[in-house]
Amino acid sequence: MPTSGSKALKLGWQVACLCLLGIFVPALVTSLGYSLTDALGPGPGFFPFWLSLIGAVLSVAILVQVTLAKAAEGTAIGLAPDRRMALQAIGVLIALTAAAVLFEPLGYRLTMLPFIVGVLLILGARSPIAIALTALAGSFGVFHVFYHWLKVPLPIGAFGM
Amino acid sequence: MDTLAHLMAGLTAALSLQNLAFALIGCVLGTLIGVLPGLGPAAGTAILIPLTFKLDPTGALIMLSAIYYGAMYGGTVTSVLINVPGEAASVITCIDGHQMAKQGRGGTALAIAAIGSFVGGIVATIALVVVAPPLAQVALKFGPPEFFALMLVGLCLITGLGGRSLLAGLTMAILGLLIAMVGIDPVRGAPRFTLGIPSLYDGLGFIPVVMGLFGVAEILLGIEQPRHQVIKTDLASLLPSREEWRRSIGAIGRGTGIGFFLGLIPGVGAIIPTFVAYVFEKRLSKTPERFGHGAIEGVAAPESANNAYANAAMIPLLTLGIPSSPTIAVLMGAFIINGLTPGPFLFQERPDLVWAVIASFFLGNILLLVLNLPFVGLWARILYLPYPYVCVGTLLFCVIGAYSLQQNVFDIGVMIACGIIGYGMRKIDMPIAPLVLGLILGPFLEKSLRTSLEMSAGDFSIFFTRPLCLTLLVLAGIVLVASALRLPPRELREASTT
Repeated sequence: MPTSGSKALKLGWQVACLCLLGIFVPALVTSLGYSLTDALGPGPGFFPFWLSLIGAVLSVAILVQVTLAKAAEGTAIGLAPDRRMALQAIGVLIALTAAAVLFEPLGYRLTMLPFIVGVLLILGARSPIAIALTALAGSFGVFHVFYHWLKVPLPIGAFGM
Repeated sequence: MDTLAHLMAGLTAALSLQNLAFALIGCVLGTLIGVLPGLGPAAGTAILIPLTFKLDPTGALIMLSAIYYGAMYGGTVTSVLINVPGEAASVITCIDGHQMAKQGRGGTALAIAAIGSFVGGIVATIALVVVAPPLAQVALKFGPPEFFALMLVGLCLITGLGGRSLLAGLTMAILGLLIAMVGIDPVRGAPRFTLGIPSLYDGLGFIPVVMGLFGVAEILLGIEQPRHQVIKTDLASLLPSREEWRRSIGAIGRGTGIGFFLGLIPGVGAIIPTFVAYVFEKRLSKTPERFGHGAIEGVAAPESANNAYANAAMIPLLTLGIPSSPTIAVLMGAFIINGLTPGPFLFQERPDLVWAVIASFFLGNILLLVLNLPFVGLWARILYLPYPYVCVGTLLFCVIGAYSLQQNVFDIGVMIACGIIGYGMRKIDMPIAPLVLGLILGPFLEKSLRTSLEMSAGDFSIFFTRPLCLTLLVLAGIVLVASALRLPPRELREASTT
């Protein structure tokens, strides 16, 4: 936690504290809806209630501490990556999300084939042969190993793939 | 005598062709994870769990344990050859190991690291065999209040020692405990925080969360990091000279001792033993100025400490059910997936499994020595693998692992979300370990608290009237106060956050 540090780091902690409050406060309110005690002793809401309450108090304490800390000028560390790398990271996340959405409808093999090609291209791989071989191995090869040899259930979707 | 008989039975089981193969595969995969920079042992062990889904529990746990200590071995290669630790515990090895590589002594550095790791691992496993059964016997006398207090001590140690800020560590531990509350209440069967989503009735899966926080987050961070130059060094001449042996033997012994004893304390983490071992050697040396310029003791001591720690850290898990680090928490998750709860009862209920796993540590350390000495050049070549291909391989395992545990796409979504959260946390240096430990211990902590209060009809004095429970609670309080007052030396606190 920055007691003194870059403005970006300070802002990062402030945002994190607000996010934590965004979890703890609704959890606190929700836990009041569960019974805190019952005939046998503590109820389902007992533990979540106290956890949320303590968590919220601690988050506020961190927020106050961070806000009151001096942010040193000119020591900004690179919290944000450069544009190209940020785009690559976002690209990977989009590819992952798309893979998650298509995973069951298309099946493992048909989803992972374009996923692998896409991620490799996003990250700068350029050899068509290496990309093709990796995509085939990662989709059809991995499916064979996990599904047939290791008996790990992977989805079979459209076209029996 | 009983212990010896159990150990022999365990060795027989571990030496079966099937289990030996699992140990070998685990060692190879673990070393690979350690060698690949950016993919730590916690993420590596988590993403490889799907490989073990259909194995019998003994084989699965032998393989996952081998992956864990294999990763501890493998991290050295990158530390020495590219000055980047393959896993956090190898940070200290970078200092002198990389200097040795620059001087053309990279082979010797890697060899002494492998030998030190072997000695550390074997000695710690022998100590585990001696210490674990009596400790488990003592733990059998614990009731729910004592277990609650014990888990609280573990969490306090992890939050207190695990980062620069006690407040942040505590908040993260509480967040982990709260996330663990999602799903059906284990005592009354009432749904909590499920938001009407059926996939949340079983709770947020530990494995998807860990894969996200460590695996996906590490991929995203890895994209930002510059690629490193592999040092061309002599890997043919592995054996240290007579003088180097002389300097290393004591360092290995001391490193092993430090690693073992610190491994018994939950929350210490893998970095602190290596750091302490390094500083200790430097202070003990008559020529401390050699440290930082390729002193072989600077490699031998931390590497021995690293592996002694890795094996000793299994003691709190196996005997008390307390994971001391995120990687051990992942292993605990693997036990739970296999329908087993680590702790003293496991020694009674499944001695065959526990002793086979312990015996496999001996075999695993021998396998790792064989894998690491003659094949060190081969491991070094893996460093030339382009990052996009490493990234794709990791993501594939993450997706398969997250999905296949419950065959639910929702878990892939959880993994992606946790990946983004983990990335953000790492960027601002927010501690992740307490969150993971809170997540795995949450259900046990709640169950023991509620059972205790049911025993006393809601009277909290049950925690203060039982001497052992009270002692443990006082200890937890002392840990928190000491951490708040910043009593652990600054170097240790900073080492633990590296």
